[in-house]
Amino acid sequence: MITLSYVTSVIIFCIGLYTIMARRNLFKTVLGLALMESAILLIIVSSGYIPGGVPPIEPFMGPAVNPLPHAFTLTAIVIGASDIALALAFIIKLQRHYRSVDLDRIRGLRG
Amino acid sequence: MNIRPFLFRITALFLCAFLGVMLFRGIAAMPPKESVTGPAAHYLERASRETGARNVVGAILFDYRAFDTLGESTVIFTAVCGISMLFSRRKFHRSSSGLSFIAKRGIGIMAPFLIMYATVIILFGHISPGGGFQGGTIFATVTVLLCVVFGSSFESSYFPPKTKESLESGGALLFCGIGLVGLAAGTGFLSNLSAGFPAGREGSLLSAGTIPLLNIAVGMKVGAGLSAIFYSMIKMLDTTNDYREGGPIR
Repeated sequence: MITLSYVTSVIIFCIGLYTIMARRNLFKTVLGLALMESAILLIIVSSGYIPGGVPPIEPFMGPAVNPLPHAFTLTAIVIGASDIALALAFIIKLQRHYRSVDLDRIRGLRG
Repeated sequence: MNIRPFLFRITALFLCAFLGVMLFRGIAAMPPKESVTGPAAHYLERASRETGARNVVGAILFDYRAFDTLGESTVIFTAVCGISMLFSRRKFHRSSSGLSFIAKRGIGIMAPFLIMYATVIILFGHISPGGGFQGGTIFATVTVLLCVVFGSSFESSYFPPKTKESLESGGALLFCGIGLVGLAAGTGFLSNLSAGFPAGREGSLLSAGTIPLLNIAVGMKVGAGLSAIFYSMIKMLDTTNDYREGGPIR
């Protein structure tokens, strides 16, 4: 069953990558980044799974899953959220300055 | 003229698919695990004895790797600083009047329970799933809901930005202060039971030494930080007449 999780995360990662490559809208670029980040976090969490594992909260009713990926992703989620908020703030500033969030037009205005 | 973007997209699509397949092959090459190995096995085996916390993830976050968590909460602080500085020049601020009466009543009934839920998640972080990060995010969600439903001036009158600022700084100071206690006891920065903090009875609310305190500190930081970020952004978007001034000069 864990293969399904990996496949899902790879598909989400590809969607995010395609968004970054094909779209010139800066908001969509940031959304693509957020998607890629979520996909990677899903991969990390899934890698800590062991068959028949239970949540790592004592007392265990069987073999517990690996708690380290959970701890890592917990911090990474908050860092990602603040990163994306900062990026969006920069984009709002850019929109004020150039009247556009299109990457091509922003480049066209000021070399 | 028209064929180039199309070609570009097709190329990008194939490149993404290729990279995705390579990524999946890389993942599939990882050996399947039947049991937990490495430091995680140590944590699973001894976490409750060494820290007194039942939640192993919380024990790792706030005891074994607490220094990591401190650095990570600094990242939130930096992001809040950056966003506030970017949007600091807006003095005039017109709040929206909020949504309909039904939405306002509904949120008015729900908000106390949401705050209580956030508090429970933070305070019981060491014995059940949850902790400072999760509870702080729920608390930030409450302020976001208030902001959207009632308008940002209502939200800022209930949770003033100054209060959020001092809460966030207070969380950081609390975290560092708890760390310095360990340093004063001679066992190292952010050390838990070895610095003389009481372990308590395992599974009770007052147990696990510094972990509940650090949970509260991180909850303050994350909740205040995220709601401050949201408030500065919605304050920016609320000011409709500012779109005309401040053109591309400078």
